[in-house]
Amino acid sequence: MRVGAKAPRFFWVVLLVLLALALSCGRDAPKPPADLAPAAPAAAAFPVTVRDDLGRTVTVKTEPHRIVALLPSHTETLFALGVGDRVVGVDDFSDFPAEATHLPKLGALYEPRVEQILALAPDLVIASEGGPAPERLAEQGLVVWAGSARQLDEVYRVIEVVGRLVGKRDAAVALAARVRADIERVEADVRSGRRVRVYYELDPTPYTVAPGSFLGALLARVGGDNVIPKGTEDFPRIGPEVVIAGDPEVMIGLTAEDAARRPGWSHITAVRRGAVYKLTPAEENLVSRPGPRLGEGLAVLARYLRRGAGEGSR
Amino acid sequence: MSGSGERFSGRAGRRLAAIAGAALLLALGLVMSTGTGSLSIDTATTLGAVGAGLRGRGEELVGLAAIVWTVRAPRALLAALVGACLGGSGAAMQGIFVNPLADPYLLGIASGASLGATVAFTEGGRLAAAFVGGSPTQPAPEGMVPVAAFVGALGAVVLTMALARRRGPTQATTLLLAGVVVGSVLIALTTYLMLRDPSHVRAVLSWTLGSFSWSRWSDVRSIAPYAVVGLGALLVMARGLDALQLGDDTARTLTPRLGWLRVGVIAAGSLAAAAAVAFVGVIGFVGLVAPHVMRRLGTPDHRTLLATSSLAGAALLVLADVVARTVERPVELPVGVVTTLLGGPFFLWLLRREA
Repeated sequence: MRVGAKAPRFFWVVLLVLLALALSCGRDAPKPPADLAPAAPAAAAFPVTVRDDLGRTVTVKTEPHRIVALLPSHTETLFALGVGDRVVGVDDFSDFPAEATHLPKLGALYEPRVEQILALAPDLVIASEGGPAPERLAEQGLVVWAGSARQLDEVYRVIEVVGRLVGKRDAAVALAARVRADIERVEADVRSGRRVRVYYELDPTPYTVAPGSFLGALLARVGGDNVIPKGTEDFPRIGPEVVIAGDPEVMIGLTAEDAARRPGWSHITAVRRGAVYKLTPAEENLVSRPGPRLGEGLAVLARYLRRGAGEGSR
Repeated sequence: MSGSGERFSGRAGRRLAAIAGAALLLALGLVMSTGTGSLSIDTATTLGAVGAGLRGRGEELVGLAAIVWTVRAPRALLAALVGACLGGSGAAMQGIFVNPLADPYLLGIASGASLGATVAFTEGGRLAAAFVGGSPTQPAPEGMVPVAAFVGALGAVVLTMALARRRGPTQATTLLLAGVVVGSVLIALTTYLMLRDPSHVRAVLSWTLGSFSWSRWSDVRSIAPYAVVGLGALLVMARGLDALQLGDDTARTLTPRLGWLRVGVIAAGSLAAAAAVAFVGVIGFVGLVAPHVMRRLGTPDHRTLLATSSLAGAALLVLADVVARTVERPVELPVGVVTTLLGGPFFLWLLRREA
């Protein structure tokens, strides 16, 4: 009787602990530098041997033609490198470019559909380092590279590694350079503007982004001063008092109506000035995917920050 | 003669001490809760803000003083009301089922509320779009989550009672089993809905652990009537609960309408617990532990037990919320985790001391 009554809550606790473990493993895992093999002419690019973000040594013997991408930014990178026609399946969240939406959906980080992936017989799986997918698929004999950019400067490295894995080293170097140029252009545009106090909400619990996180770094690049103190964990559940006292001039990630309804928030500068912006799902993807469109994501953030600072008409 | 008089005064003294002690702890908790938080606010500002608020001028406050009156004060009171509802409801459920492991969630309140809240989180936008208008991808409209959770909680209890009723006169065991089954089925549905729409997993999980982050004066005003009516009704029925502890047969002679007593206690206890859960999410352990602690520290008659359990539940939850806000500033911990970590060891200590 007691066991039965307790079971539901026990289940939640287990689920939460697993989720927390998975998340913390993903975030805190040591990040060995990608061990790039010495440069070789493009024709003789294979076999390619690289270290992935889990510290595994991954060897791709011949040029891959059946690629599975299990992270939206990897999918975007593959298409940007011109090998989209070799992608045979993607994760549930990959929705760009439009061609990717027609590919088989193979689950998400924590629930990869292993059987479906095996049935596609991929010769290369590019996944993220979090979740059970890399290990589970590698156990089945697949070639799996697992990694992602968790800091802004890692974006270029990951693009180049993915390029090497699929035999597009030169294209990847060019793509990384283009992304870098995009980002620098946005930064140059906002350099003259004043810094703006900003609050970025992930969900109304409220979870937010701290300065040390990927998104936090993006905000800082385009003139945002995060109201969340430095040294806070990357995605903290914050005490709402901190936001009120920080008095952000721009708030991103919630609607103006929601903000105005919260206790004590109606006096916040951003709320009084109407500088509260809810991103569209497409914009959210741009700012949260460390892939080839990151420059566009940065431009989205810059635009809202400038608009909130009263410099938005340009 | 004098002996029984002494015993009576000893009992009365113990009863008074338990009520006063729990009330004092609650008062202390309320002061701490208003005085501390994610920020440091000096005492003068805090006292000034509370003073202005009590004089009805809270709306005019700005800056840190506004935080004290519009954020902290309703948060402290909401935690107290929710804790009182859960503590009192827990004592009533343990009394009516004559089962020390009973708690307010025994008949499906937690799982029903979770399902209601999850439906609001995941389908709220679509439902609003269908009936009111707007985009299907909009978030759930303001106020939908507590209403859905409240309806879900009471719906689960009604379902449990209805299922148990089918087999002639309702037995306590049948009710408990029906509660377990209803709870499991609703949890399964909740999990399915949540995993189907992963973008809301964090919102749902946070909700199921309870939160006072967005406590408002209007929430306090919304819960208060349920707390007063629910807990008041339980106090009125307390004598019947005392009789029940002597066994069903004895109780039947003392309380002729045992079936109605059961329905009444379950209805009042469920009302209080459902209102509590609807606004702040499922907060575990308070409803289980507060009555046990007060049964040991106070007197076991149900009128005292219901009062002290409510006070102790309120105090525990207010203090747990203080801890949740301050141990890892500026990050907040889920208050449900803190209640368990605070209440659990204390309860074990009490049990061992007794044994």
